[in-house]
Amino acid sequence: MSSSQDPRGSLPGASRSSDGVLARVSNSAVVYRGRRAASDAATVAKKLLWSTGRAAWIAGTAFLVLVVPLIIEMDREQQMNELEMQQATLLGAPPSAPAK
Amino acid sequence: MGSSGSHAEDRPPATPQTPQPLGLAGILPPKTEEKGDGKGATEKVDWLNLPCPVPFEEIQREALMSLKPELFEGLRFDFTKALNQRFALSHSVFMGSMEVPSQTSDVIKVPSAHYEFGANFLDPKLMLVGRVLTDGRLNARVKCDLTDNLTLKINAQLTNEPHFSQGMFNFDYKGKDYRTQFQIGNNAFYGANYIQSVSPHLSLGSEIFWLGHQRKSGIGFAARYNTDKMVATAQVASTGVLALSYVQKVSEKVSLASDFMYNHMTRDVTSSFGYDYILRQCRLRGKLDSNGVVAAFLEERLNMGVNMILSAEIDHAKKDYKFGFGMTVGE
Repeated sequence: MSSSQDPRGSLPGASRSSDGVLARVSNSAVVYRGRRAASDAATVAKKLLWSTGRAAWIAGTAFLVLVVPLIIEMDREQQMNELEMQQATLLGAPPSAPAK
Repeated sequence: MGSSGSHAEDRPPATPQTPQPLGLAGILPPKTEEKGDGKGATEKVDWLNLPCPVPFEEIQREALMSLKPELFEGLRFDFTKALNQRFALSHSVFMGSMEVPSQTSDVIKVPSAHYEFGANFLDPKLMLVGRVLTDGRLNARVKCDLTDNLTLKINAQLTNEPHFSQGMFNFDYKGKDYRTQFQIGNNAFYGANYIQSVSPHLSLGSEIFWLGHQRKSGIGFAARYNTDKMVATAQVASTGVLALSYVQKVSEKVSLASDFMYNHMTRDVTSSFGYDYILRQCRLRGKLDSNGVVAAFLEERLNMGVNMILSAEIDHAKKDYKFGFGMTVGE
């Protein structure tokens, strides 16, 4: 099978008549280029994933330290205000009194 | 000065954005009163009756209060017991790790634990505070009102390592619309500063110091613009340090602070932004730094006289994480 006019094109020296079809396909330039592109894409994706993961980690820890306590404390404060309002209305005092 | 003025005009539109959930109806009446006062002052200024400025060394106190909480790592327990109205004893235990200054950028931490015993005597005219640590450090402070206007302050730090002990005498004079201070310290340190109110909101000050042993001297200037809603300060010194700070009081409970520091010698620029929430049961301070340092400090009142402290600081760049837990009993 001396098909040097392979429509896919082949690497110089890589096409031998004695090789099988599979070997010729895997040695062809397109596959080689594709494999390289795939590995490049994989490294880029890995780097991207890693950096987004790190950014998410930093943002998440910063959120945990800066915002979460604030939310909890504001919630507590609001609950306490509501409780006081309720008590004030139960006791019959004007509801605006405890806000001062 | 100019920058602080422009800041003042930049910020006020932020005031209506007060977070409503915690804004109580009770905040509104004092706000309008304050505004009324401010307008009255701007309409007619009594140039001979200007208010007394803040002391020169406390010019940035609002920003420092919000942006520089006492962050720590480990455990601390503070107990204060008042023996009578004027005399109090304090005990405090600290266990954790201390940072050791090093030449390289990475942080070296050494585990350490110490106990501190303190005695306080507080009187309207005289204040004596002493602290002794188990590692041999002693700290003593005296504040004594010699006359109504003249105050003497003594600060001493004694250690068992040679050349690290420090002593400082301050004489503060408080005038009607100015303050002046004269400082004498060990190692032939002499300093003087003066701050004067130039308008009801603006005060200008300057300082001069001389370090005899190092043959160094310097001069610094400062300006502070404060209204009841905001404080802006600028400070520049001949050592090459420029410091700006801005604090905006959003409501009774919330203030936002930012500061900027530029060191001309080391070409080092840092700025930080923080919030300060003072709620009924707690005080929460958070800070974000231009070096990527995130810090928060929470003081929660659990009961009458029992406070819990949580401190957190995360520095991702240096991989330095500090978390602290503490209790304060008494006070």
